[in-house]
Amino acid sequence: MSEDTILRVDGVTVRFGGVTALDGVSFEVARGSVHAVIGPNGAGKSSCFNVLSGVYRPVAGSVRYAGRELVGTAPHRIAALGVARAFQNLALAGDQSVAENLMVARHHLTRAGFVATGLRLRSARNEERRHRERVREIAGFFELGDRWDVPVGLLSYGERKRVELARALAAEPELLLLDEPVAGMNHHESWAMARQIRRARDELGVTVLLIEHDMPMVMALADRVTVLDFGRRIADGTPAEVSADPEVIRAYLGSDEPASGAAPSDGTTTAEHV
Amino acid sequence: MSDRTNLLRRALPVGGLLLALLVPFYLSGFWLLLGVMVMAAAIGAIGLNLLVGTAGQLSLAHAFFLAVGAYAYCWFAGAPGPGGGGITLTGLELPPLLAAVLAVATAGAAGLLFSPVAGRVRGLYLGLASLALVFLGQHLLFNLSSVTGGFNGRSVPELSVLGFELTGRDPELTLLGVPVGDRERQWYVALVCVVVAYVFARRVLAGRPGRALVLMRENETAAGVVGVPVSRYKAAAFVLSSMYAGLAGVLLAQAFQRVVPEYFGLVLSVEYLAMIVIGGLGSVTGAVLGAAFVTGLPSLLSHYSGLLTFLAEPGTSGVDPAVAARLVFGVAIVAVILLEQGGLVALGRRLRPAPRPPAGAAGQGEPGPPPDPASHPVLPPQDMTTASS
Amino acid sequence: MTRLLELLAVGLSLGMLYALIAMGFVIIYKGTRVVNFAQGSLLALGAYAVARIAPSAGFWAAAAAGIVITVAGALLIRFLLARARGHDHMALAIATIGVDVVLTTELTRRIGPDVLSMLDPWGAATVRLGGVTVPQARIAAMAVAVVVLGLLLALFRYTGWGVAMRAASADAEAASLMGIRLGRVATVSWMIGGALAAGAGVFMSTFPSAGLDSHSSTIALAAIPAIILGGLDSTHGAIVGGVTVGMAKALTAGYGSELGFLGAGFGDVMPYVLMVAVLMWRPSGLFGTREFIRV
Repeated sequence: MSEDTILRVDGVTVRFGGVTALDGVSFEVARGSVHAVIGPNGAGKSSCFNVLSGVYRPVAGSVRYAGRELVGTAPHRIAALGVARAFQNLALAGDQSVAENLMVARHHLTRAGFVATGLRLRSARNEERRHRERVREIAGFFELGDRWDVPVGLLSYGERKRVELARALAAEPELLLLDEPVAGMNHHESWAMARQIRRARDELGVTVLLIEHDMPMVMALADRVTVLDFGRRIADGTPAEVSADPEVIRAYLGSDEPASGAAPSDGTTTAEHV
Repeated sequence: MSDRTNLLRRALPVGGLLLALLVPFYLSGFWLLLGVMVMAAAIGAIGLNLLVGTAGQLSLAHAFFLAVGAYAYCWFAGAPGPGGGGITLTGLELPPLLAAVLAVATAGAAGLLFSPVAGRVRGLYLGLASLALVFLGQHLLFNLSSVTGGFNGRSVPELSVLGFELTGRDPELTLLGVPVGDRERQWYVALVCVVVAYVFARRVLAGRPGRALVLMRENETAAGVVGVPVSRYKAAAFVLSSMYAGLAGVLLAQAFQRVVPEYFGLVLSVEYLAMIVIGGLGSVTGAVLGAAFVTGLPSLLSHYSGLLTFLAEPGTSGVDPAVAARLVFGVAIVAVILLEQGGLVALGRRLRPAPRPPAGAAGQGEPGPPPDPASHPVLPPQDMTTASS
Repeated sequence: MTRLLELLAVGLSLGMLYALIAMGFVIIYKGTRVVNFAQGSLLALGAYAVARIAPSAGFWAAAAAGIVITVAGALLIRFLLARARGHDHMALAIATIGVDVVLTTELTRRIGPDVLSMLDPWGAATVRLGGVTVPQARIAAMAVAVVVLGLLLALFRYTGWGVAMRAASADAEAASLMGIRLGRVATVSWMIGGALAAGAGVFMSTFPSAGLDSHSSTIALAAIPAIILGGLDSTHGAIVGGVTVGMAKALTAGYGSELGFLGAGFGDVMPYVLMVAVLMWRPSGLFGTREFIRV
């Protein structure tokens, strides 16, 4: 693995009963890049993320992250290695405040156990205060400062999407997995989110791997794109290369995905928004 | 929130505590005993609520851990000698306070022994699997008679420090002209324990472990991906809940002065479940309220059965106080689940004036203009693991 | 040798009854994702109705009435649960515990210290089969269990309802989108679950049991190891689990004197020990499907 490759997926195959969700998928993610995984519904994108975060165990293949094998590593250990993930279907605790939902992402960075927390030992108090300050900064970064104490269940959908992303960043990751970060958002919210993702990369140096359906967004945001179809990788390259690939066009025209956005001209015009 | 409500929030616990300290000077033995039982049950319920309400792991094994606490105390503190029914009891005759601590630790160890199951099995499956402990517990209580006294049970040594009985009446003590006997002393011991148990649980929930448990309940997979070692936390919640049950068992034993196996059956587990459901799942205060309701109701019904003419005498086929109380629990459990899942706590919150809703917080589908990122400070990368030193 | 055969016969007949009870749990769970803790009190309700009606109407009419009453009780629970806000499986399961408390308390009060007879036609008669003595009532129970379980398995496999239930169990949302009426699947599941409870309740109260007493509703709890062993959502698992539990119980009780060091009455605990052992090895039971994770 070269110096600037942070993640190398090699021949990963996932099966559920008789269905092959991923079939020998390989790709590499360069450190500091924004890398998109796209494909029609059922192409295996979410399965791919589940392999990367340790939820699924592939029957074959390997995932090397910063020199470590992720296949067979428990999800919480992968998190501790610096891989964070924002879920497509918002996996937040609705009764808890924004603060608590973000603080839980500091789990692997903190130590206070049941006894230290219950007795409110000095170490636990200090740790809590320090991390709360930092997480508050992150909340501010996502325009969530004035929502700090509000239960997440009371927030709008767009705000909850931001909390989800903020939680992933609150883990101080090196690799950020974003599963459809703008799905269900309106146009304005989507582009605001895109700007925040790009800033996270530029200012925090995070490598971003994202699944996205919104083609203009992918074209504008991604440095590199991997295309999956029926569990197989059918293309890999820059946005311009990929959107000119005949097999990609066929895959998209053969489904109900919006193919228009994949045209390179759109990619260049929308890029100005970011 | 206004300063006034804030002040009230601070004053309420202090006032309540003062009142609780004064109670033994005014109330009779019946009320003190009931209070001790409520406080003991509250500790058990707080523990169960950490597991079921917060971590989302159903357990019907609570009676087993109460039994472990109660019997372990008796064995550690008790003297060897003849028990009822020709049984020879064993006992270590340790100092009672040490025995109490060891009893709580034993309950925790019993929970830890079950952790291969408690740590791997999810939610409802644990509820079913935990039944095994209740039945296994009953079997052990009846058959391990050199420790438990078998069918006849075992008498409970007084809790004492350096010869001063904390739960008995020796040496005699009079305060402000009021004799401080066994029930009064038990009241204070239970009060100290319940306050410590309450504060400890509140802090755990507000801190790092609590946040991990709540996310685990809401979405176990996400909790793992976020960095929570799920199996370890499930097992830890189970152990902590067992230790709470163990402490409750020690205190209940003090109140009963004799422990018998039948008490620690499935019915008791269901009663504890009723406490946390009725009080409010996931709420520490709710557990206390639920414990008061479920423990208090049968005692109050039989205490006032003279006035409640619709209740039958115990032992007849009519609805006696115990039956009436059970019917009320059952209906209350169903009603809470169907109508108000927050239980008594949520009901209380509704009666209070609602807190000011956060501005625009409920703006569903009405997002404001896109925020301007330029107006926000740049967020420098920061490595907390090194910054923490 | 005869003793072993006799114990195996007892275990098998007991096991088929546990299979009936376990199947009730499993069908309700597959159709609705509710673990019905009130199954025990439904069982007692069925047996109680039969015991009360049989003296005037005869056993068969009483059995029919008992089944109808229990099915009505099950439907009552089903529609009560449908009123719950949200569909948190844990909350619904706890609600069934509440129902169980109410129903059990009331039945226990009504039964009191009595032991009620089913007035069944088999009475205490026994049959000798190749040197093994078996109660007639148990043979009837086995015959009924085999027929009923066979019918149910055929029903799952070949009827529209069976397909609908399996689809709903695999993915309720997708099934609903495909036009499967989840409400009807739930109703039928509860009806079958109730009927199974009533049938098992009757046979659990016939010879060699003395009759229905105030502890009878705990019988269904003994089927819980069976469903955990087999897997909560596996119909075949319910049968295998039921028979395993019956055998384990009968053998442990039968060889009680040899197993004396385990304490008196270990037969009742054996199924739970077995259950914990299986759970340590396979957290979803022997045949249960691992929960499909979707994030």
